[in-house]
Amino acid sequence: MKPILLQGHERSITQIKYNREGDLLFSVAKDTVANVWYSVNGERLGTYNGHTGAVWCVDCDWDTKNVLTGSADNSCRLWDCETGKQLALLNTNSAVRTCGFDFSGNIIMFSTDKQMGYQCFLNFFDLRDPQQMEDNNPYLSVPCSECKITSAVWGPLGEFVIAGHENGEINQFSAKSGEILKKAKEHTRQINDIQSSVDLTMVITASKDNTSKLFDSNSLDHIKTFRTDRPVNSAAISPIMDHVVMGGGQEAMDVTTTSTRIGKFEARFFHAAYEEEFGRVKGHFGPINCVAFHPDGKSYSSGGEDGYVRIHYFDPQYFDFELEA
Amino acid sequence: MQDTLAMVDDPEYEEEEPSFSDPEDFEDDIEDEELLEDILREKPQEADGIDSVVVVDNVPQVGPERLEKLKNVIHKIFSKFGKITTEFYPEADGMTKGYIFLEYAAPTQAVEAVKNADGYKLDKQHTFRVNLFTDFDKYMNISDEWEAPEKQPFKDFGNMRHWIEDSDCRDQYSVIYEAGERTAIFSNDAKDPILAEERARWTETYVRWSPKGTYLATFHQRGIALWGGEKFKQIQRFSHQGVSLIDFSPCERYVVTFSPLMDTKEDPQAIIIWDILTGQKKRGFHCESSAHWPIFKWSHDGKFFARMTTDTLSIYETPSMGLLDKKSLKINGIKDFSWSPGDNIIAFWVPEDKDIPARVTLMQLPSRQEIRVRNLFNVVDCKLHWQRNGDYLCVKVDRTPKGTQGVVTNFEIFRMREKQVPVDVVEMKESIIAFAWEPNGSKFAVLHGESPRINASFYHVKNNGKIELIKMFDKQQANSIFWSPQGQFMVLAGLRSMNGALAFVDTSDCTMMNIAEHYMASDVEWDPTGRYVVTSVSWWSHKVDNAYWLWTFQGRLLQKNNKDRFCQLLWRPRPPTLLSSDQIKMIKKDLKKYSKIFEQKDRLSQSKASKELVDKRRAMMEEYRQYREAAQQLYHEQKSLRLELRGGVDTDELDSNVDDWEEETIEFFINEEIIPLGDL
Repeated sequence: MKPILLQGHERSITQIKYNREGDLLFSVAKDTVANVWYSVNGERLGTYNGHTGAVWCVDCDWDTKNVLTGSADNSCRLWDCETGKQLALLNTNSAVRTCGFDFSGNIIMFSTDKQMGYQCFLNFFDLRDPQQMEDNNPYLSVPCSECKITSAVWGPLGEFVIAGHENGEINQFSAKSGEILKKAKEHTRQINDIQSSVDLTMVITASKDNTSKLFDSNSLDHIKTFRTDRPVNSAAISPIMDHVVMGGGQEAMDVTTTSTRIGKFEARFFHAAYEEEFGRVKGHFGPINCVAFHPDGKSYSSGGEDGYVRIHYFDPQYFDFELEA
Repeated sequence: MQDTLAMVDDPEYEEEEPSFSDPEDFEDDIEDEELLEDILREKPQEADGIDSVVVVDNVPQVGPERLEKLKNVIHKIFSKFGKITTEFYPEADGMTKGYIFLEYAAPTQAVEAVKNADGYKLDKQHTFRVNLFTDFDKYMNISDEWEAPEKQPFKDFGNMRHWIEDSDCRDQYSVIYEAGERTAIFSNDAKDPILAEERARWTETYVRWSPKGTYLATFHQRGIALWGGEKFKQIQRFSHQGVSLIDFSPCERYVVTFSPLMDTKEDPQAIIIWDILTGQKKRGFHCESSAHWPIFKWSHDGKFFARMTTDTLSIYETPSMGLLDKKSLKINGIKDFSWSPGDNIIAFWVPEDKDIPARVTLMQLPSRQEIRVRNLFNVVDCKLHWQRNGDYLCVKVDRTPKGTQGVVTNFEIFRMREKQVPVDVVEMKESIIAFAWEPNGSKFAVLHGESPRINASFYHVKNNGKIELIKMFDKQQANSIFWSPQGQFMVLAGLRSMNGALAFVDTSDCTMMNIAEHYMASDVEWDPTGRYVVTSVSWWSHKVDNAYWLWTFQGRLLQKNNKDRFCQLLWRPRPPTLLSSDQIKMIKKDLKKYSKIFEQKDRLSQSKASKELVDKRRAMMEEYRQYREAAQQLYHEQKSLRLELRGGVDTDELDSNVDDWEEETIEFFINEEIIPLGDL
């Protein structure tokens, strides 16, 4: 497959996300820029300007009306998707690591880092109440004293947030009360990314312990494990096939000690039921930081440390491929 | 200091000096032994005198006129072992009785005298018998009641050769991983290694197999342990504090351990030789440094072992562990020696000494006959390389020819199986990186040149006296040569700094079968049958990507085994074949018949494996489907909730809301064409 190369960032990509219908792809990077592109041909629509620090996360609501970004400049901003206008600015005490709209698009959550004496908090705002935004007063703010949150996604019906922590734990935080509804400790090192399946019934976690695991969203039951020999930075579940894709890379300090050939960072495809790797896609010049499937499952994208986003449309053979069973 | 002096001189200082004497009724409770231990040790003891006395029998009986001469002779012989303090020649009827008493300054000297003078032939009729005086007492006091020694219960370790009987002829290998925390034994199978045994902290540093594969030796702070049999039970334990290196005798009867810690003058403990079956300590030796381990080199049949010290070659025989012929060989300037792997012959070399040229000598043991001497001129250094069967010896000689500055290298090839051991010379124009004999053949391989232009040359030592260069491959990325133990095939490897380049060569026609790479490989190990090669990246040399890869002898990659912090893989050696050469010939003749049966067996096991895999996958898919169905069920039940959250808009499928779609035309960049319009 011939990938479409998106060159719009000057520094490493931190997150990419498709909107619900998949025609738009959002990318954010350490260069303070948030871009939006047409996923069909790679044409850039526009940029959301305003952040003054590395942008760590991005999300788009189900109707593609609003865009949410979180940044190391200690702010979380709400934008109008079509015009690029900044609609709200929420200041925080430390960098915003992860953010997202719930199923209805009415409630936003974001987590802040444990930095400079400030704890890690998981904040919830209701967009239907403009007062909250004006006063920068979340209706619920959950402190995380033990271990900071490194990645989080909403549950299927907006009742809870599934958060991954620095120590490998996964917790379900209620969006109403803030209490922990369920826990799971399967990973041994930091969770780098959590993504949901398109129907939100499952989540896949990517961890520094070289594995990626599939969990049920509601029960947090551990379903599958996918093993590699490199830290996994991001993982995504295919909407139409029993496949998952994982992207990762070497620890920065080890990069110089491996052959450049071996260091060519590859996205790895695993069969979701058999837990077996069946394919790899080369092309990035650095570790892959984020992967995402197009909602129709016919393509996927990856954003790397090299600042490039690559959109890959699958060949017909991909859909026919089957492991002997 | 100042103040106290001032105080003393100060006339105003009137304070009485405190008294330092013990109070009147003080009785000290310190024993003399504690206080004066070192002095008391040297206190002459009554028993001392007796321990240093020896009795010499079979001394000529002489009259007074020859007594003086006799005493001189005795003195000359016996003062070699120490200072004789007293001598007593008992007489009867004017003649010496025929036995004498000699007292030495220390008991150790008496022991030396017994060791060395007992059996000394003075003349045809008189052979001295020397004994310690205390021995007489000991032997006289042996009770008449003989107690039979207690019968040791027979420790049955099972079949020590159990692994050889594997029906699929799988070889075993040991793997140390998790930085030494875990050691495992696997049986090698082309598909996947089969775990035979795995233990945590089995060894504290590394492991060694015995030469015939019977024992696995593990290292511990307090000594080594040997394990074997089907279940790897502990066979024997040897206590040697701080042991760091070991060596087995080729026959597996003895093991030599070295520890840099334990050594005292009286009781040499740095190197200890043990009898494996009984666990007994046979003998201890001093050792200054372990720089060239093994310090003791064994003859191929385990009958002798030898070591080299300054200007001396000491050869010991088993099982007595005593010096052969009771004395070491004085060889001035001896630099290096080694045993032939096929016969009891030692090769050694001495460098130039004034106007005597350097020479290599081949000496037959135990006769000590020099069967060949070869003079060499302008020698800088020599290295001895024996072919594995002892058929050939190659001496790599680095010389600086007269009138030049540089160093050139010659290979002096000694043909051991031909009468009078003729020597042929091969001159090498470039510096040598590596040299290796084909294990059971008459070829050798040389890596020479300077990086990056390294060449690999293959030579054949022919019967007609010629040494032919068969082939040279140039511009190789290699720094080590690994022959298959069965000969013919070999791997040229560029280890460590050369990033793991591998070349698989068939030397029957000198073709490259395959060129591959195992990035950062640190070791290459052939299995004992020569069917498989393992290349590995050890955690000890490289902290990432620790794994061992299994290849066929032709260079086809079979497995990649990643192991967390993998350190070392060692194949288990096989004992020599029990088949006679005739039987081997018969098998080779009937090979076609056997290979048909084996191929069928392989096919069966392959399909069995794929069947196993297929079954496993089916089970996993079943499980997964069931889970997904349950999740889908819940999802459908929640549909109304979802509609509510999104204001009645059905977003469950991408095309569930076609009415809401907008049409947009998008341009795709296809092609650019520049059309010159010409002059307008």
